[in-house]
Amino acid sequence: MTRGDSLSRRLLAWLLLPLLVLGSLMLLQAWFEARRTADRAFDRLLEAASLAIAEQVQWQDDRLWLDLPPAALEMLATDAEERVFYSLVDRRGRMITGNAELPGDDREAVSDDDTLLYRDIAWQGLSLRQGVRRTRLEEWQLREPFEVRVAHSREGRDALAAELWRANLAMILAMAALAIVALLLAIRTALAPLTRLRRAIRSRDPRTLAPLELRLPRELAELRDTVNELLARMRRVRANQERFIGDASHQLRTPLAGLSARAELALRQDDPARWREALVAMQATSSRTARLAMQLLSLTRLANPEYRPELTPLSLNALAREAVREHWSACHRAGVDLGVETVAADVEIPGIDWQLAEALGNLIDNARRYGARHVTIRVGDRPPSLAVEDDGPGIPPARRLLMLRPFHRDRDDLEGSGLGLAIVDGIARTHGARLVMSAGPGGAGLRVTLVFSGDTP
Amino acid sequence: MSPRRTSMTPFSRLAGRCLIALLLALPFTTHATQSLRYPATPNGDAASPLVIHGALDLPQVRPLLDAFHRDHPHIALHYRNLTTLVLHERFLQAPAEADVLISSAMPWQYRLANDGQAQPLDTPAARRWPAWARWRRELFAVTFEPIVMVVNEAIIERFGEVRSHADLLTLLERRGESLRGRVVTYDPAISGAGYTYAIEESRLSPRYWELVAALGKAEAALAETTGEMLEGLIEGRYLVGYNLLGSYAQERLADHPQLKIVVPEDYTLVTQRLALIPRQAPHPEAARRFLDYLIGERGQEVLARDTPLGAIHPSLEGPGTAAALRRQRGEALRPITLGPGLLATLDDLKREALLTRWRREFTRRERR
Repeated sequence: MTRGDSLSRRLLAWLLLPLLVLGSLMLLQAWFEARRTADRAFDRLLEAASLAIAEQVQWQDDRLWLDLPPAALEMLATDAEERVFYSLVDRRGRMITGNAELPGDDREAVSDDDTLLYRDIAWQGLSLRQGVRRTRLEEWQLREPFEVRVAHSREGRDALAAELWRANLAMILAMAALAIVALLLAIRTALAPLTRLRRAIRSRDPRTLAPLELRLPRELAELRDTVNELLARMRRVRANQERFIGDASHQLRTPLAGLSARAELALRQDDPARWREALVAMQATSSRTARLAMQLLSLTRLANPEYRPELTPLSLNALAREAVREHWSACHRAGVDLGVETVAADVEIPGIDWQLAEALGNLIDNARRYGARHVTIRVGDRPPSLAVEDDGPGIPPARRLLMLRPFHRDRDDLEGSGLGLAIVDGIARTHGARLVMSAGPGGAGLRVTLVFSGDTP
Repeated sequence: MSPRRTSMTPFSRLAGRCLIALLLALPFTTHATQSLRYPATPNGDAASPLVIHGALDLPQVRPLLDAFHRDHPHIALHYRNLTTLVLHERFLQAPAEADVLISSAMPWQYRLANDGQAQPLDTPAARRWPAWARWRRELFAVTFEPIVMVVNEAIIERFGEVRSHADLLTLLERRGESLRGRVVTYDPAISGAGYTYAIEESRLSPRYWELVAALGKAEAALAETTGEMLEGLIEGRYLVGYNLLGSYAQERLADHPQLKIVVPEDYTLVTQRLALIPRQAPHPEAARRFLDYLIGERGQEVLARDTPLGAIHPSLEGPGTAAALRRQRGEALRPITLGPGLLATLDDLKREALLTRWRREFTRRERR
């Protein structure tokens, strides 16, 4: 089903179909039953007529003799004015008298005595019901067997059968109508909770994420619980977002307040040297703030689940070298030794160059900021990976995961924003890569590795 | 006799009469079979032939055919008057020869219909036809003819009125000697009609056998046909006729007032001519039209007015109708039942048994 697919229609179709089949079977059965009943009733006529004839059969002048009672034939015709046939047949199958050479019945009699066999025959284009009575004369000496065959056309039977069937038909139709009404009511009742659920969802305040409180049948209760779980997840996500926004505003407010305080302090003084000093400090703070804002921006972008950037094949070696080239002078000024270790066979992964460059930059920056002397960018090929090692103080394993949360800082200082690792984590997720933190070479320092899966999306 | 007759224009009547006279003048009537022909008048319509085989004498059938021909001039009618026996045998020989069969041999006609040899007629007239006068829609009784006695006025003068079977029995038993050889009735052994009446009467009352014995004692003459009996009665050879076809007697005895027709008061058998359309009728359309006319008001009116056959149509009253006869005789009328009982009449053994009994009763006096 495509258009108009509905549960109630589906239910109706699947319930009605068997009902119809069942109804037709009942009608068919009723028809056969009606025919059988009519045959039973009318077979009594064949029985009575053949008996009335048989009783008149005598032995006279060395042969079978029959004084045919007209009433016997009249018995066979009802109001339906059936055609009537009879014949008297002797032991050798010769017709003694009769108005039709009716066929015999080959079936074996149940007993030797008086027996009567009924069957439907087609005789000279007429459809007849025939009764064959096999009996014998019961005289002192003589026990001559003979057969009385009577038959009549089926009009009376058919009329009675049709009448019986019509009575049944009315009953079956009434039952079917009742069944359909009951069916419609049942479907309505069964689907009512669904309507309640829909109304409950529709009438909710769109801003609320409170769980649905609604008594529902078991099948729908599962659906309700699933929806509630989803809502709970959404509540958690929103709480995270609210915390992030709070943190972000806090982070931005602090340097801005500093800037404002510094400017106010400088304005109280008249010495241009002091102004300059203040301006230098303000410039440093504002550039840090700008960087923070940029980091926040990229983190928001990375956190957007609908952000699906185009991935292009990238060489890990080239990325590592480029990062060294970019950050070498800054590191050099800070007295940090920045190195690179590439692999012989270049490894390519699908990715976004600016994001990976940002990740490497963040990691190098972090290492530098937290007091490393040697920083090495290492490219792995099996599986493809990018790692940044340092010999700084490192992070104890228990705290490593915490470091991934935005605004979490290991130490309280003004320099870092606490966003670096969170951004790297976001970039790793965008690339389908795993972020692994471990101790650096020789057990000291920190190694942050981006492990790409072999064929990342 | 009825005012309607004048409603026909004298000219058309004259023309019709001339036509028939002309036809009769031509050698259309053969010696072997009497027949009537009405050629179709060429007026544009395609002529449709219609062949009717009937056991109905020409004077009686002519008014019926005249009227039909006036209504349907495009149908070329050919009527053959046959005896019931010839009619039946001819049908068995050539079932596709005739379009309509009309015969007073009720058992034979019934048997043909029972065997599925007739085709049904489904018209409003057929549906309205009384159930007792038809079988299915295949076999229609079209006439209503009582079986009567004919008594010479001389007998009535000498021995008093003979009004019923009982009267006849008394008369025969008391005055058998004086009536010796002067009573006539059907010989059931050679006359189909006589046999049919015998079987019906024997079913009605066992006293019938007393009557047969009395007839035997009076050495009643046995005849084959009603015509034969009427002849003897008119000639004066017989004084009492028993079981004559009323319709024929009425016509023949119209100018013989010394012969009185007695419709018995205790019971009166009524025989009916049965019409059917054979299944293999060559011109079924014309046949249906004719039979519909025959059981329709128009045909029945002609039957009542111009023939002594007796009309059945329930809406007709007055002389010549079943309704009038019923008013006169009421419960005493015993129309021969149109049902499977008629088949018993045709049973060979039954016939043999009845005739044996009849002969035994008729000749009882000899054995004494």
